[in-house]
Amino acid sequence: MTKQKQSSPNPVLAVLLAWAIPGAGHLYLGRAKRGIIIFLTITALFWSGVGVGGVLTVDLPKERWWFVAQMLTGVNGLVAWQRQKQAYQALAKIEGESLEKRMVKAGIALVVPAETVARAYSGVAGLLNLMCIFDALMLSIMGARGEPQPQDDKPKPKGLAKKEAAT
Amino acid sequence: MIASLFYNPVTLSSNSELLLLLPLCAAVGLIYKTIRVERLNQLIREYIKLLAYMAFGLVALCVLLWVTHTYWP
Repeated sequence: MTKQKQSSPNPVLAVLLAWAIPGAGHLYLGRAKRGIIIFLTITALFWSGVGVGGVLTVDLPKERWWFVAQMLTGVNGLVAWQRQKQAYQALAKIEGESLEKRMVKAGIALVVPAETVARAYSGVAGLLNLMCIFDALMLSIMGARGEPQPQDDKPKPKGLAKKEAAT
Repeated sequence: MIASLFYNPVTLSSNSELLLLLPLCAAVGLIYKTIRVERLNQLIREYIKLLAYMAFGLVALCVLLWVTHTYWP
């Protein structure tokens, strides 16, 4: 029986998938269970942050560095950013008071402690995904597909193999 | 329901802020161990171990800061 030869993974595709949908990079590399765990954890953490902070959790004009971290969650961050833009547009249509006051009135202005918690959750979700993107990149560069082999199947170091042969 | 959270965020009290570190630690630990463990059947054990280290570290840090704050001349 011949083994089916697998093509080596494409690092660029692995990175793009890992960024766009958290865990998709690992799924592409044949590590489905890890991919699902990554997807569920990062998505839950990000949306918990948005749930605590509301529509202005992802806020480009005011929190540039948190925004960069949040965008690392791929499609999650992009959806939240889109909603934030819609909220700003809706508020800008209302005439009269300043934007800040209108946000407070509408109940969507972020205040402490929700602000800290919301941005920390969603930003850390992005940074965790960065770690996963890097892992997917390294695995794809090494040409790894699927789960690693159990320790017993791996070729033993030369010294150990000689020792075992002698006994 | 989820869409309504955009405009009606969950209200938090200042007292619960520190407790909200726990889910953050849990998520960080889970992701870290998911990509680090060699075999997935080791994941739960390694994850619990890391979570215990993190919780112990945070409590130790809290105690240290409290002692410094209270007894610093």
